[in-house]
Amino acid sequence: MDLTFYGEDVKGLIRVDPRTKVLIFITSSLVCVSSYSDIGIAMYSVVLCILFALCGKPMTALKASLALGVVLFVRAMMGNSKGAPEVIVMVLTLITTSFMFAFPTLMSIYFIVKTTRISHFLSAFQAMHVPVKAIVPVAVFFRFLPTVTDEWNGIRKAMAFRGISLSPVQIIVHPWKTIEFILIPMLFSSMSVMEELAAATMARGMDLEVRRSSYEEVKLHAVDYLLIVLFAAMFVLAAVIAQMAKEGAVL
Amino acid sequence: MAKKEMVNPATQPDKKLRVKDLIFAGAFAAIYVVVMLLIVMVCGTVPVLYLITPLFVGIVCATIYELCVLKVRKFGAALILGILFAVTASSGYLPGMFIAIGVALLAELVILIGKYKSKKFFLLSYLVFNLNMVCPFSNLYLNRSSFMAMATEYYGESYANGVAALATSWMPFAQMGLAVLGAAIGVLIASKLIKKHFEKAGIV
Repeated sequence: MDLTFYGEDVKGLIRVDPRTKVLIFITSSLVCVSSYSDIGIAMYSVVLCILFALCGKPMTALKASLALGVVLFVRAMMGNSKGAPEVIVMVLTLITTSFMFAFPTLMSIYFIVKTTRISHFLSAFQAMHVPVKAIVPVAVFFRFLPTVTDEWNGIRKAMAFRGISLSPVQIIVHPWKTIEFILIPMLFSSMSVMEELAAATMARGMDLEVRRSSYEEVKLHAVDYLLIVLFAAMFVLAAVIAQMAKEGAVL
Repeated sequence: MAKKEMVNPATQPDKKLRVKDLIFAGAFAAIYVVVMLLIVMVCGTVPVLYLITPLFVGIVCATIYELCVLKVRKFGAALILGILFAVTASSGYLPGMFIAIGVALLAELVILIGKYKSKKFFLLSYLVFNLNMVCPFSNLYLNRSSFMAMATEYYGESYANGVAALATSWMPFAQMGLAVLGAAIGVLIASKLIKKHFEKAGIV
């Protein structure tokens, strides 16, 4: 997965307001824990992928939905084949389950990161009169998730260059060293990114306690209202399916 | 950079969180959550390891937390970290989320006792802060039947039964103990690492 730092949605067919995206994220994490059925999560994930594609990232959406398809296929197959060895079934169940469980949440975080510009995010929430002190950490949080992944890849390459492998075996044999070799470089390079980010926001006058004007157009469009209704409906549906599954209905 | 750090507090000793501090808190929260999720994903495959994740998270993540609070040194750093942690880690179960935020507030109070100067209290506050690792499990203790339904559906009978057999009434307390123990080990590592790397570089 290539992670670029700055999300963009200019190529998209639709533009979704950041507030709607955050609502989708909240719905996703609720669906993950309150829905007990594959069908609920699969349905939800497909809609999320379609939305991703419409917002100008069709390739990402395609990759994600292919992965989802494979996992669902494996799960369906496992239900039908009885003679398989216990160990393989156990391992496959764990892998596919973790995937299914994490998919909606990770996908919606990825959706926010990939398709939102930070300035758009800031101005949308400022329009809601959320104080700057609450918005900035959240915006930086989402901005920083891909950075951490990127730093991690860089560190792995740098360590491999020096002949230090970060394989699971090494982690178990030398836990103390691994912590030092991974964590310290990551913190160092992340910290310099933070310093730069702080300087950039300072230069934009974020530190002033006045209302900031913005070129961004902040308005909930028809698409946003439609999405809000759609995701609320899907959440209710997922909850209903979960209730049915709990009561023993076979789905 | 070190010079700038030294001049700043002298010219304007301000207790308020500036945007710079907010950026540090948000970014460290991102690192914290990513590392925590990695550990949970690796440990989540075995019921026993899954239940003692607070220990591992405490050992590894202490350095990140300490660096964050030592870098900002104002009221709010631990709280922001705690809130972002709570929202991502235990958003599925609201009481758990509020407990996690409360724990972060307690950690903030521990730092407050040290008046945001004493390094000892900065370090000690993580022992409290790491209790929030128990909160994602609160679903299991406070809302057992629905958690079991979920685990059975997702992971299958044997895994759910494994978790159920381990999650006895004393388990939350054992987990809290493990969280504090992990945090204690982590804090020892963190103070060593920070002294070795970051203080030398003049970062904290």
